[in-house]
Amino acid sequence: MTRFILKRIGLALITLFLLSVIVFAISTILPGNVGRSVLGPFATQESVDALNEQLGTNRPIIEQYWDWASGLVQGDLGTSLTLQVPAWDLLQPALENSLKLALVAFLICVPVSIVGGVIAGLRYGGITDKGITIAGISFAAMPEFVTGIILILIFGIWLGWLPVTAQAPEGSNLLTQVKYLLLPALTLTLVLFGYIARITRAGMIDALDSDYTRTAYLKGLPSSVVVRKHVLRNALLPTIAVVAVQVGYLVGGLVAVEVLFNYQGIGLLIYESAREKDLPLLTAGVLVVGIVYLIVTLIADILYAMLNPRIRFGTAE
Amino acid sequence: MDRNTRRTVEEYRGTDAGSLENNLIDELVNGELDRQEFLQRATMFGLSVGAIGALLRYVGEPELAFAASEAVRAGGTIRVGLPAGGSLEPYLLNDGGALALAGIPGEYLTFTNPQAKVVPWLATGWKPNKDASVWTFQLRKGVKFHNGKEMTSADVVASMKQYVGKGSNAGLSPFFDASGVSAAGKYTVVFRLKAPLGAFPYLMSQTTYQAIIQPASIAATPGAWVKSGMIGTGAFKLKSLVEKRSAELVRHTAYWGGRPPLDGVKVTYFTGSAPLVLALRGGQIDLAMQLSPQEAQPFKNNSKFKYYAQPTSAHRQLCMRTDQGVLRDARVRRAVALAINRPQQLGKVMLGAGEIGNDTPFWKQFASTDPSINQRKQNIQLAKALLKAANAENLKFNITTWNFLDHTDHAASIQAYAREAGIEVGLEVMDVSKYYDSEPAGADYATTTPWLNRTCSLTEYGWRGVPNLYLSRCYMATGDWNASHYKNPKFDAISKTYLEAPDLPTQRKATKQMSGILLQDTPVITDYFINYTTASSSKVKNYVPEGISHVRLAKVGLA
Repeated sequence: MTRFILKRIGLALITLFLLSVIVFAISTILPGNVGRSVLGPFATQESVDALNEQLGTNRPIIEQYWDWASGLVQGDLGTSLTLQVPAWDLLQPALENSLKLALVAFLICVPVSIVGGVIAGLRYGGITDKGITIAGISFAAMPEFVTGIILILIFGIWLGWLPVTAQAPEGSNLLTQVKYLLLPALTLTLVLFGYIARITRAGMIDALDSDYTRTAYLKGLPSSVVVRKHVLRNALLPTIAVVAVQVGYLVGGLVAVEVLFNYQGIGLLIYESAREKDLPLLTAGVLVVGIVYLIVTLIADILYAMLNPRIRFGTAE
Repeated sequence: MDRNTRRTVEEYRGTDAGSLENNLIDELVNGELDRQEFLQRATMFGLSVGAIGALLRYVGEPELAFAASEAVRAGGTIRVGLPAGGSLEPYLLNDGGALALAGIPGEYLTFTNPQAKVVPWLATGWKPNKDASVWTFQLRKGVKFHNGKEMTSADVVASMKQYVGKGSNAGLSPFFDASGVSAAGKYTVVFRLKAPLGAFPYLMSQTTYQAIIQPASIAATPGAWVKSGMIGTGAFKLKSLVEKRSAELVRHTAYWGGRPPLDGVKVTYFTGSAPLVLALRGGQIDLAMQLSPQEAQPFKNNSKFKYYAQPTSAHRQLCMRTDQGVLRDARVRRAVALAINRPQQLGKVMLGAGEIGNDTPFWKQFASTDPSINQRKQNIQLAKALLKAANAENLKFNITTWNFLDHTDHAASIQAYAREAGIEVGLEVMDVSKYYDSEPAGADYATTTPWLNRTCSLTEYGWRGVPNLYLSRCYMATGDWNASHYKNPKFDAISKTYLEAPDLPTQRKATKQMSGILLQDTPVITDYFINYTTASSSKVKNYVPEGISHVRLAKVGLA
């Protein structure tokens, strides 16, 4: 297992390096330049050139990358070009926000979706199965922006039960923070429910139809024991992989939800830095999300290996 | 008129008033200026309230009256929603959200009020020399920065030197350079301009939103203002700032304008206008900085909210290339302009929140605008005849613009009207970064960026108290925003006369001549000026919106 984890970490480091190179490389084809982005369209070309010179953004991209990477080795994620503050000062609160939202969404979405998928799998072909499947597909097909607006209108404006924006006031206690995060978390639950529930349902159907389940029933075990001990353990394996991928999305890919609920998460920060061509901030942001994503994937791989001896032993050999 | 008034005026004319002020008084006495115009000019030349009052009495006009404010409860914190902005450093300011936040702790030498009059602010008065090439500003005494230090001429000089420096976005360097601003005593600052400029006091107001007065020690280092806590002279001082997210400000108890009623201000940035509208609807903010007329509409007849619509000189310019392409012929450009039903368009696109334009940048409320120019109206027959005469009956072209507020609807509206005259118009709607970038990225900006180089482009221009900026940068041959590539030496000569003229009759004569030329040549269609629209909760009292996006809260209170 140790070798398995070390191998994964090594691969993660290579992935992060490649990620940073790709972000810098792609940025060269993004429209706009930093000076123009900071000073705006109506600034004179002289002012734009002077600012680019001042910020060093008129240097070759390789030189800029080398500077940034040299700082990174020493633990410095760089300085935002547009705001002239350390990138970490911007990324840290945004990452904290994203993790909070991801956690609340995760805690609502994953159990609800798994329970939905399990019930649908157990009631395969019945009305409950069809109801869950159709509802899941419908919510998944709806853009998160639309789902969010519907929830805001119902719970935020008409009923007035929940805050419209997700950012709780400074110094709020845990309950208040959760209250502020409920609407975006519910939006994400609706978006992800169909996907996770369908994977769980498919796993359940496969597991219920397998030889070992039939054997367990023939042994005379009660249904609840068969499902808990034999079916779920196997049926949830693909779900774990899917959930791990969604965590990456929940942390770094929620631009539309963050915009709608005016929540300053890391996805929105990365989007804005890309728009402003703020390369150090953009690359540092992508890297931070990449690290979160790789950590979650690693945890999922370990869980998967623990639940599936074939993977564990195969890797160890 | 009583004897005292006569004596006051005569003394003023003989001692304090220079030739410009005496000309102004002559114009008033001779009936060449009405009350409104006189007030506009008098404040621009820095006449004191006492002198203005005496002169009004002298010609039999009622004295100045000030609008009474609503009574407000002291205390409370207002929650303001702003569109997410960029850098808050004054010399870099370029967007509404950032300038609105920076403009709460920061203030300016003068103030252009909603009626387009420049009035005293951190400066109490100003005087030009004979040809308006040297301007002397008297500073208000006893103004305290948030750090407790008194504002003096050294602070103003240091701030202005920063704003004319390299990389500054203030756009002041064409008018004076660092050596052109100097102190002449603790409370006097002298500006020696590169060329005469009659409207210079306007440039020192919040319409040049970068020109915030900072303490000299901070202004000496560009980029130090935000790190130093945004120390200004405004009614509220910064308590905390989370870049790109929010800010909290508290009352500046030593504010020169009197104790502000509010305890503080909480500012939240919003990315996109939909969340801003929803937050106001949901009661999570009290005031939104700016909304489109469509977004503000639901708040209009709702007792829980207040709707604001402030007429401004902000407008859209449909620029048509005069030097090449299918719109090169002035008759063709006139035909496009004649196809538009302006009142109908204003109603549909802006829900009536604006005033129709006459293809010039001369807003009706500018004192220099000549009111005798006939309004251009829709005339499809004439448009068709012009196209025929220009041999352009199968005219086809694209309007290039970007997805901003009313632009797309506006372009589509022109497309529909043009069809009535047999003109086929296509739409090219871009993202902001593409519209305002060089094409391809990295190419020479001025000669490739779509907004300055397409056959026809639709671009937004913000509110100003005088049309100088529009003229010098959009219409004159030397202008760097001249998207129609318009070159008319006669027009340029009249523009120059206008820009240098300190007296209204000369300016008005010039705008009349320029209007005639522009209606003939039609390099730009300005079919409407927009109202600055927004909304607040009904508990917000005494709020007056400003066309440039500032959120002025010194007198605002909560019910």
